[in-house]
Amino acid sequence: MGKTRASGSAAVRRRCWHIAAGCLALLVSAEAFAVGTPVGTVIQNTATVDFDLAGTPITLQSNTTIVTVAERIDVVVTPQSPQTLVAANDTNRALLFTVTNTGNGSETFSLAIESVLAGDDFDPVPSVTPIYFDTDGSGDLTVGDQPYTAGNNDPVLAADASVDVFIVNDIPGTVVNGNTGLSQLTATSLTGTGTPGTEYAGDGDGGVDAIIGTTGGEGSDTGEYLVSDVVISVIKAQAVSDPQGGTQPEPGATITYTITVEVTSAGTATASEIRDPLPTFTSLVANSITLNAAGISDAIDADAGEYDTTGAATVVVRLGDLTQADGVQTIIFEVTID
Amino acid sequence: MSDERKGTTMRTLLSVILLAALSASAYAQDEGHLNVRTVVQKEQVTVNETGEVKTELVAGDTFVPGEKVVYTITFRNISEEPAENVVITNPISGELMYVDGSAFGPGTDIQFSVDGGQTFANSNELTVTEGGVTRPAGAGDFTHIRWVMQQDLAAGAQGVARFSAILE
Repeated sequence: MGKTRASGSAAVRRRCWHIAAGCLALLVSAEAFAVGTPVGTVIQNTATVDFDLAGTPITLQSNTTIVTVAERIDVVVTPQSPQTLVAANDTNRALLFTVTNTGNGSETFSLAIESVLAGDDFDPVPSVTPIYFDTDGSGDLTVGDQPYTAGNNDPVLAADASVDVFIVNDIPGTVVNGNTGLSQLTATSLTGTGTPGTEYAGDGDGGVDAIIGTTGGEGSDTGEYLVSDVVISVIKAQAVSDPQGGTQPEPGATITYTITVEVTSAGTATASEIRDPLPTFTSLVANSITLNAAGISDAIDADAGEYDTTGAATVVVRLGDLTQADGVQTIIFEVTID
Repeated sequence: MSDERKGTTMRTLLSVILLAALSASAYAQDEGHLNVRTVVQKEQVTVNETGEVKTELVAGDTFVPGEKVVYTITFRNISEEPAENVVITNPISGELMYVDGSAFGPGTDIQFSVDGGQTFANSNELTVTEGGVTRPAGAGDFTHIRWVMQQDLAAGAQGVARFSAILE
């Protein structure tokens, strides 16, 4: 989104662009995982029997059984940025994932990137150093982030611990607006993988058995690059007129807001929409919204916008698919200061 | 050696020696004229060539979270008198979640405790109060199970009590 410029409080909402699934993924990514009883825990069990024999009460204990909790190996990879907007020839574009040890013991994982996948329009090209840790926790790939080298700094994660990892790709020059490219991060347990239930005798923490859990000891997920070369300019201006004919922003004064929107590059901004929440202690002048000098009713109806008061009072104007050829779109509306 | 044990018959002693000889791990206690033994097992599901699914209990001493742990308690009256008012009590360790409906014991009334074994009642009669709110007790609240024999355990007779729990 780095190429969108906006000023004032107006914001361009690019309605998820082409990929509705990207929005859904955001809603379900915060799933929690229980790890369970720590590896090596010993559970003893002894039954007690009470009874009377010839009128004498007696209490007995059984032998004690011992259960040792083995290591369950499980790992989950969760995308943190399911979709990243890119342009042709971009380099070192990162996708962020979280690798979580959902087993019950400490485990070392190797990491791998795969960018030749089905279901997309182009193959991103893994960078020379394709995997980094988000060492500084910024969520963005920065100079402080440590590169990953298999066999050298494989992450060691305690039960329920996680690490944030970037996979980094370059974008080919041949892509066009709207193309998608998938890239996948895989985390693999170094103790072993296999069908759930596979046993690695003695390979768990402290020499207990390690058993592969439901994830098979391997987790992976994909992130998506979406080519979007569109640059949008959004500028908001205001003019105040007070009841005395001056320009003092006092109660009773009217503010006229003018928002201009323009695509300044090649490409199409699909389903563009401006949502501008009103400042507090102001009221919209009824039916004052216009788009390119044509009136838009305040009601929520079939026209290009409305005054939406279901949440915070907001002026909404739908611009639809915009290209450079559409030129400047001008939205004007008036509010009074309460 | 306890006072009670001194009173046992030679036959009882012999049976203990025989049991010990049969299996070094089959640790049995007889001081009160009842032989009580508990074993821990896991379920093994196998599918044969014809697609038949078979679940059997096999020995188990290591478990992973999510796995089912099956405890079986056997008790035999090795005295020559009937044992009266026989009650088997077994704690449910904090790492274990009782599997609803899994408690089994022919000829017994099965009761549960939610207070560390101080009081017992049938599962549908128990409640738990948390933060001033009282609700029916669930499997996760049970701390102990007990099996109350409805009749005497005759000399030479054996009983069994079993339950399952999920390792959390």
